[in-house]
Amino acid sequence: MTRWVMIADLRRCVGCQTCTAACKHTNATPPEVQWRRVLDMEVGEYPNVKRVFVPVGCMHCADPPCMHVCPSTATRQRADGIVTIDYDLCIGCAYCAVACPYQARYKVDKAEFAYGEPMESEKKQFDPKRIGVATKCTFCSDRVDAGLAKGLKPGVDPEASPACVNSCIAQALHFGDIEDKESNVSQLLAENQFFRMHEELGTDPGFYYLWDKKP
Amino acid sequence: MKVKTYCYQCVAGPDLLEVEVEDGVATQVTPNFDAAGIHPGGGRVCVKAYGLVQKLYNPNRVRSPMKRTNPKKGRDQDPGFVPISWDEALGLIAEKLDSIRKKGLLDESGYPRVAASFGGGGTPQSYMGTFPAFLGAWGPVDMGFGSGQGVKCTHSEHLYGEFWHRAFTVSPDTPLCDYVISCGANTEASGGVVGVWRHAEARVRGMKRVQVEPHLSITGACSAEWVPIKPKTDPAFLYALIHVMLHEQPRERLDLKFLQDHTSSPYLVGPHGFFLRNPETRKPLISERLENKVKVQSIEIGPDEEVLAQGELEGETAFSKLLAHMKPYTPEWASGICDVPAATMRRIAGEYLDHARIGATIVIDGKTLPFRPVAVALGKTVNNGWGGFECCWARTMLAALVGALDVPGGTLGTTVRLNKPLSERHASVRPGADGFMAYPLNPTDREHWSAKPNIRNAYRTLVPLAADGPWSQALGPTHFSWMFLGETPPGLPRVTYPELWFVYRTNPAISFWDTRQIAERMAQFPFVVALAYTRDETNHFADILLPDQMDLESLQLIYIGGSKYIEQFWKHEGYALRQPVVKPRVDARDFTDIATELAARTGLLERYNASVNRGAAGVALKGEKWDFSLETAKAHTRDEIWDAVCRAASAELTDGAETQGLDWWKEHGLRVKPFPQSDWYLFPTLAAQGLRFELPYQEQLWRVGIQLGRRMHEHGIQWWDKQLAEYQPLPAWKDFPKLWEEELARIGGSAADYPFWLLTSRSMQYAWGGNVGMQLIHEVAANVSGHGGVIINAGKAAELGIAEGDTVEIATPSRNVRAKAVLRQGIRPDTLLLIAQFDHWVTPYAKDFGVPSLNSMVPMSMALTDATGSGADVVRVSVRKTA
Amino acid sequence: MSPFGPNPWIQRHWDWRAAGNFVFGGAGSGLLLAAALVLPLGPARAVSLPLGLALVGLGLFCVWTEIGRPLRALHVFLNPWTSWMTREAFVGIALFAATIYAFLIPSVQAEVLFGGVALVFAWCQGRILKASKGIPAWREPRVVPFIVSTALTEGAALAVMLALAYNLQGKLVYGLLAAALLARAAAWVMYSTKVLPVLTGEPRRRLDAVTPKLLWFGTFGALALVAAASALPRTYAAPLAIAAALVAIGAGWHAKRIIVTHASLNQGFALPRLPVRGVR
Repeated sequence: MTRWVMIADLRRCVGCQTCTAACKHTNATPPEVQWRRVLDMEVGEYPNVKRVFVPVGCMHCADPPCMHVCPSTATRQRADGIVTIDYDLCIGCAYCAVACPYQARYKVDKAEFAYGEPMESEKKQFDPKRIGVATKCTFCSDRVDAGLAKGLKPGVDPEASPACVNSCIAQALHFGDIEDKESNVSQLLAENQFFRMHEELGTDPGFYYLWDKKP
Repeated sequence: MKVKTYCYQCVAGPDLLEVEVEDGVATQVTPNFDAAGIHPGGGRVCVKAYGLVQKLYNPNRVRSPMKRTNPKKGRDQDPGFVPISWDEALGLIAEKLDSIRKKGLLDESGYPRVAASFGGGGTPQSYMGTFPAFLGAWGPVDMGFGSGQGVKCTHSEHLYGEFWHRAFTVSPDTPLCDYVISCGANTEASGGVVGVWRHAEARVRGMKRVQVEPHLSITGACSAEWVPIKPKTDPAFLYALIHVMLHEQPRERLDLKFLQDHTSSPYLVGPHGFFLRNPETRKPLISERLENKVKVQSIEIGPDEEVLAQGELEGETAFSKLLAHMKPYTPEWASGICDVPAATMRRIAGEYLDHARIGATIVIDGKTLPFRPVAVALGKTVNNGWGGFECCWARTMLAALVGALDVPGGTLGTTVRLNKPLSERHASVRPGADGFMAYPLNPTDREHWSAKPNIRNAYRTLVPLAADGPWSQALGPTHFSWMFLGETPPGLPRVTYPELWFVYRTNPAISFWDTRQIAERMAQFPFVVALAYTRDETNHFADILLPDQMDLESLQLIYIGGSKYIEQFWKHEGYALRQPVVKPRVDARDFTDIATELAARTGLLERYNASVNRGAAGVALKGEKWDFSLETAKAHTRDEIWDAVCRAASAELTDGAETQGLDWWKEHGLRVKPFPQSDWYLFPTLAAQGLRFELPYQEQLWRVGIQLGRRMHEHGIQWWDKQLAEYQPLPAWKDFPKLWEEELARIGGSAADYPFWLLTSRSMQYAWGGNVGMQLIHEVAANVSGHGGVIINAGKAAELGIAEGDTVEIATPSRNVRAKAVLRQGIRPDTLLLIAQFDHWVTPYAKDFGVPSLNSMVPMSMALTDATGSGADVVRVSVRKTA
Repeated sequence: MSPFGPNPWIQRHWDWRAAGNFVFGGAGSGLLLAAALVLPLGPARAVSLPLGLALVGLGLFCVWTEIGRPLRALHVFLNPWTSWMTREAFVGIALFAATIYAFLIPSVQAEVLFGGVALVFAWCQGRILKASKGIPAWREPRVVPFIVSTALTEGAALAVMLALAYNLQGKLVYGLLAAALLARAAAWVMYSTKVLPVLTGEPRRRLDAVTPKLLWFGTFGALALVAAASALPRTYAAPLAIAAALVAIGAGWHAKRIIVTHASLNQGFALPRLPVRGVR
């Protein structure tokens, strides 16, 4: 089988928000909606302080709490692990948003644009289906599917890969099939030490954070 | 449809991208993966480039040429801009230029009547089309009204770096380096795509970076260790490291062979401190041992060719002098100054030596080169202003001590802007006097010293190291142009207002010091032509606004690759095209067309075209085997001009075999040929010519400094004496922090009342981008700590009763600003930080941020200007919670 | 700095309208349960059934005004397999059906039916919160007994007011209210002691401040008033009983409002390990 997962290498990330911006471009999200974004976290007390930049977004959990609570079945899970939202079914109750322990879901109730009136680029990309419903990172499933159809490899061929992964200037983000032992992500997980966010909540997230080589 | 173009919004570029266009609408920016194998950043662009779509469609753009109708200029005066036609706008400008030409290009003080400011560290040149050809055709132009040059850049590093190792900027050899000591070099924020890409790879490989900086910057966060040093004490830190290496570690841990053979360490220094020379040849005498004291028949020549001594003279090697000079600078001494534990400094010095691999070699491009994988990086505010000379000297010495200067793995120079040829760093290495490289110092001898400056900031008069090339104007003390408008100091011709000032891609009223004063001066400029993107704080004082076609609407070909600023080290070099992605969204014209038309209207067309033919557009149009020269009598269209440039570029890259023009370049976006990695390293070029690095002993600079002082005193200039003291053969530590306390006293404050150091730091999202009005940038930057206020240590804030989000007042004796408190652990308790540069009051969108800037707080001050004409971005302040 | 992380922040998805569902829906279903338990056939019961349904309906209406696509509201029924919101909707339908049936054709079975469905409705509300994995104050399992017990308490309080209005014998109703008050107090203590340690800052302070209000006023104060009311003649008892009811209801509604809109910190983000940048 296939399970698509993403990896963020915390040793590499510099918090530049290039992925945040690239995602907004490719997915035409409205102001303040950031399906992918990078946190700036500080740990410790002066002078023993560490600062870490942490890419976050939908973790495409194997046991997604959002899917369980969704009253309309708008939120579903594909066989390849990608958690999807059918905008036409969604009633915008935001139950999924409060069920998500990663704060990954957004809902905007009215159309908003960067400078008030929509610019040409915003008009071109505006999708009324996304008003009043839940939205989130899709692992760029449209790109993944279109790429697979062409025989390309998601996570390896840029055309078939998520925009955030493509854009990262530190090569911190990776995407691939964890069920494939030879894949890029499998190799990275084999060679490095990693954790997942809020693992104790039992969501089985599909997003891994590398923090060091294996000894 | 995807259109290829480049981004050079900041000096860390250029980088490559594609813009997706659907039915004539630009929708998104993506990397140019076709260039992934060539571009050292995988064909990617940073967050700023993703703002380009909004930059294109921004409803706040100036939509047509505009003319001022309110003759009064001032911050509180509404300019009353009204739209006019291009014909009228260019006509008004041409009329002004013609009237200037009739009077003479230089005014009664000898300064050019026309001035032009570009800012951006030279990057606007990659957007201004053929405008340089127009300026070249015009004649003398004063390009020294700065917008931050010297204080916001790595100024001392520019000058001393080029002097010592053709290093306009300095970078570690990141792909090969194992250990970097970085004093405030904020590469992860300002190093661009390529810097971030290289360093991410390096630290996963195991390169250790020690970040020495008063706050835990983005770079400090991504480093193995953070050393929270007290501001402006980096010279003490670096000197302590040198002390440990010279006096506490076994001598064999240094690269003694390198010092002996490739530096001036074994040169003999005479009783007066100048080199001992062969009485006949006047060449410096060189000892066979690094440490030595001898008596030898010699001559000692001082400033102005004066023979100071001759006969049997006592000489000591420069290395012996260095040993003595560094003896007092122990880690214990330094610790009391810079607030870093002595043990830490000892350990770091030891680690540096541990990683240096003296004697190791590496094969690159079939050549066996020394391999020394250690480097020292300096950031702005460390390598400019007082203490900048000391830090640059110390850093370069740290490289030299282990033979890591401009060799694989070590501390490298990137490019040249002062030495010629600008395009070929290695070709700029030529023998000078005394076995060192030649450097085009501005003369300080009686016959040739320039008492009459050519431009208002008097760089030729004041700063020998600024040389006199096309970049030198902006490398002088660019704040002096502003300061002297208020009062010209004695000995210089009265500084006058320029009659016409071109402003492009720069906003001095925001980005320089004492922004209030700058605005007041600008208000007195009689005729300002601003190439305007949106209304802003500088074009608020303009008479004419001209909207030039922005990044995604215009056309230009630029050089890429080789080794350029920051960390742009390529294994290829060539050219890249910037092309219109969509039709212009406002009534804007390509800067090339503006330049051509101005040339035509002012009778300069022939000279303008000739300038383009010679290479003012980036490539000489005529080569050995090709000639695409433009007909000089004709006004060519933008596409005609750039088609010729493209053909010349194709020919140059293929040695005449191919000559594709604009259509090919529009499709492919770029073209390169190999650039050998071995060309990243200057040392082999010096060694091949038998030249040495002019280190440690600055005999020539000291001599030049004394001569400069004499010339100045002969001409009644006494006000540069403090700066003259910076010319020393071996720089000594001075109490640099005290200088800022003295400045406080000068303006009526006391150190106790203003105990905090206010600093600024780069933001990758904003730096250089001219994108402060972009909603997208503002939105994503909010994820990075500090963009909304002033960063203060959380413990210190608690002491002062300041909670997160409280409004605080930051004050100097003469200015105060308000900001929201952002509490962090990663900053010294005695330090405050205002990221980037805000405080906008005109720029749409940005003027509503409510975030102040360090720039309004820092005075323009002669006392805080160093010998290279630079200042440091730091000021002493108080902070308190507002009621 | 963005207001959204990395430290936990109060969720902004569900506001006072979502709180309204729990407030009115809880009180309404509680009233229906109380009516089934202690209100005999008569005018009080005749008012309590429509009143209970009206409150439940008001709660659901509040939620309906908050959803992004109100015209698609019927999609709420599509996921009974896993979604407690769907289940609450179905139970709501059943509650209306059973209650209307019992209103028209009273019988013991009908009483048990609509009372039972009312209890299930309140329980569904608790389960909705518990399934919200993203909000630590909601996903705590002890929130369910609190939601159910306060629903019954509020319902019993409304039943007391109705009994007084229609001159009913108070003993059973007072007894139900007293028992519910005690059960709710216990449930609150169990819930709040578990949840408070995971909250910080203002949210923690707000939740903590509910305890004295709910225990002293909302429980012991109400109990004292009930006790006094049950011992005194009607003229004196009535105002005391009404006061007890209002205090009991107010405390419950306040607690639910705080839980939904002020103590609802999300999970934030946490790093169990820090990256090694360059060297160990």
